[in-house]
Amino acid sequence: MTRPIFAAACARLLLAAALLPLVVASAPAPVLAQSERGSAPELNTADDEFSRQLSELKKSFADLSKKFDESAQSLDRLNSAEAARKEIEELRDHVGKLLAAVADNGTVWGLGNKALSRAEEKLKSLQQETRYRQEDRQFLIDRWRELKAATESAIGELEGARKDFAELLRKLQTSEDFIDELLQIREHQRALEVIHKLTDGIRDASDKLKKLLGTIKTPGA
Amino acid sequence: MRPVAIAPLLLAPLLALASCDTDKGTGYVEIKAIPPSANVSLYLDAVKLEPLRNGNAVLRQKVGMAKLQSDEGGQMALLCNIEVKKNRITSVTVSIMSRQPRCLCGRTNAAEPAASRACIG
Repeated sequence: MTRPIFAAACARLLLAAALLPLVVASAPAPVLAQSERGSAPELNTADDEFSRQLSELKKSFADLSKKFDESAQSLDRLNSAEAARKEIEELRDHVGKLLAAVADNGTVWGLGNKALSRAEEKLKSLQQETRYRQEDRQFLIDRWRELKAATESAIGELEGARKDFAELLRKLQTSEDFIDELLQIREHQRALEVIHKLTDGIRDASDKLKKLLGTIKTPGA
Repeated sequence: MRPVAIAPLLLAPLLALASCDTDKGTGYVEIKAIPPSANVSLYLDAVKLEPLRNGNAVLRQKVGMAKLQSDEGGQMALLCNIEVKKNRITSVTVSIMSRQPRCLCGRTNAAEPAASRACIG
């Protein structure tokens, strides 16, 4: 499913790259002015973008939890170790996508840290602000404090999720390798036992995801 | 606009096309530091890593061989090579117990010569 999206993104990238010379040639002067004006709105959207991406991620958690339940059921029913290997490979792909978002250099994680820095900067500047009435200033400070606390909490949850996803990915790849080893020596029955044992781990991961869906709060929502 | 200035812009579509290589995909590298509080500047390939939170980081990395290096007073020292495979995680522990940081692989390929042995996932 990623490929068509990626292909579309590539097509857009190519189009943009092809049009770039025309754009630059026809309008070279306003570039600096635009980037100067653009810096403030970019800051404004850091926490909005984090909230948006977090909501998207929560949707992915829900989808993955469903996928885990389905995979556990189908692995329980499978009598072929080769088919189970395919199922595990597919699961690794799903877990990998979520891990990509919450990795230290992943999108959601990066936006979370940006949003947190913004909240900290805002609090610092509001504490030195003298233009507003005391109660107005306090109102803004309180709201930013709430937003900062919610962002910190979301980041903490993501940190937990990252640990769980990394652990699950490791479990899946180790099981897959072990199944491969067993198949090489034609131990199909033993491979099936490993697969059935793995379903407990997958159900456990699904439960953790459901729990995470309940605890993770979108800042500002 | 001078031709020299236009040339890189004309190359942009080709570069964009090159970046659309989707076959290789991405994998993950998990780095743990011992002790967790250790302060060391690490680089994965050319990218400087943020200080490890609680001595742990999980990084998304393109498939292939990556170099984990440390900054030793402005000099880059290779700690280990890390093999990154699609949708797999490769674990590496960086021990900073002695003056010189050391890389401990979660798993290696024993069939390879020790000198060029990489951490695998």
